[in-house]
Amino acid sequence: MSVKIEVGAGGIPHNQILIYGLVGSLVLIYLTYLNTITGTQYFAFFGGLAAVVALLWGTDTIKHLCSYGLGTGVPSAGMIALGSGVVGALFGATTGILAPIVAIIVAAIIGAVAGLMANNVVRMDIPVMIVSLIELAIVGAMTVLGLAAMACGTFEFLGMITGTVVILGFAVQTYEASVIGGSIIAVIFMLGAIAIQHSFNACLGPGEQQDRTLMLAAECGFLSMIPVAIISFAFIAFLPALVALLVSVIGWIYTYVQYIALSKRDAYAWLDAKPILEPKGGA
Amino acid sequence: MSALGGPAQTGGVQPPTGMGLVLSIVLIIVALALAFFLVQMAGLIALVGIIVGGVLIAFGVHFVPVGGAPAAMGQAPGIATGVAMLAAGAGLAGLFGGAWAAPFGFAVALAGGAVGGGLLMAITCTMVNVIYVFGMGIPAASGKVAKDPITGDTFPEYKSQGTEGHGLPFISWVGGVIGGALGGLGGTLIYLELLDIYQAQLPVILNVTVEQIASVAISLAGIFAVGMFLMNAVLAAYNITGTIEGPHDPKFKRFPRAVIAAAAASAVAGIFAIALLGLVGVF
Repeated sequence: MSVKIEVGAGGIPHNQILIYGLVGSLVLIYLTYLNTITGTQYFAFFGGLAAVVALLWGTDTIKHLCSYGLGTGVPSAGMIALGSGVVGALFGATTGILAPIVAIIVAAIIGAVAGLMANNVVRMDIPVMIVSLIELAIVGAMTVLGLAAMACGTFEFLGMITGTVVILGFAVQTYEASVIGGSIIAVIFMLGAIAIQHSFNACLGPGEQQDRTLMLAAECGFLSMIPVAIISFAFIAFLPALVALLVSVIGWIYTYVQYIALSKRDAYAWLDAKPILEPKGGA
Repeated sequence: MSALGGPAQTGGVQPPTGMGLVLSIVLIIVALALAFFLVQMAGLIALVGIIVGGVLIAFGVHFVPVGGAPAAMGQAPGIATGVAMLAAGAGLAGLFGGAWAAPFGFAVALAGGAVGGGLLMAITCTMVNVIYVFGMGIPAASGKVAKDPITGDTFPEYKSQGTEGHGLPFISWVGGVIGGALGGLGGTLIYLELLDIYQAQLPVILNVTVEQIASVAISLAGIFAVGMFLMNAVLAAYNITGTIEGPHDPKFKRFPRAVIAAAAASAVAGIFAIALLGLVGVF
């Protein structure tokens, strides 16, 4: 007995979203590097925006993959995305300015291996499996790297493992008060995983519309940005963290209002609904 | 657009393709060679530990009675959630147990991980049956076998018509505890191997003491263990495709496929985790 997963037709083609998502998240994550160039921390929030763009792309990929009926539930796709992505993201982070590009390459390698194993050894035999798992691993890597960059203002490994604490008025460098040393990376991991797996899981079914699903993905992304912005008060200066918090809250309110409007639109369209036709031969 | 085919629903178990087998063997050998080349004998031992851990996780997942959505409606035996969620719960509980016990030595830590994972599954399975029996008023009856292999209880007279069985028979409870213990053991093994590598390398690279860097090493090893755990659990979930009742389920015989896939996937993810610190400070 399997649960039939239905997706709506139409909307923006997946390949277009792939290109926007990949280029958009890469450009946005590199904008956080302005912090290093200008010596400020005001550009940290671009990391969160990169995560939101990556999550939009990832949600569409999950929709693409799960329309084949995995039999394991939609959240499993989000879990493998972040699981393989976090290895790529942290490996990439050690390469300095090349971090986002290396993270993409490493995540793609791990995703490709997972996809090949799923298709050729576990015998899922799903045509889009390999490509989808590559995409999802890259999405996971960009989400982790983006949110980590937002929390500490840089995507470089040494910046993620070092922090400062003030003891008796003296700023002391320490490894405990940092994004990785304080295990904030685990919180980021789960915030990303919840954001990526929720939207399509919530919107699937008859009458699924791409714009509504993607709006929910953006809403989940901004919702994950809010805790990261609050966490960032511990690692970056007060004003840049406040800017990040404002961007997250405004983004969340906007996408939430839009999502409710789209939900009402689709609920209204359902008023003159026809009976759901069972496909021939069952789902 | 709806379910476009999906995994082939043939009766028997499809063996892995020749390409898949060759690829996984090549990947494991290449990863082992790279580990030896990069971190000498310590890297080789660590990667073997990671591969064994991944295999234990993938094998353990097959023991866990997963019911999915049908179980929530009392129409299939097992715990009413997906494979990835259950495995994550058991594995992370095991990882917490193992990480807590890490200072007491290798064997104690492994035992701590196994006990943690097994304990979580024991509590979950017991409470699931409490809800099934006293909340929903349904007896435990397996749909796959006529007789419980351990207690000898018979099932057909208790099984409701039109269902695949319901509740959680004793054999499934035992399977859940074994699965949780194996998952916790595997997750802890990955964690301990990575922790050894990072605790040896980080002080040299950053020129500090082991105590100063402990939090970073623990956090890195922990997040990678979680990531690899989820990767292997999802690959095993793809192998099960949906629901499984426990070790007596015919689907249990599929486990060799997941073991091969998990070994190759953990080898590739593991080599990046082991080589993580190789590039720090180069760029």
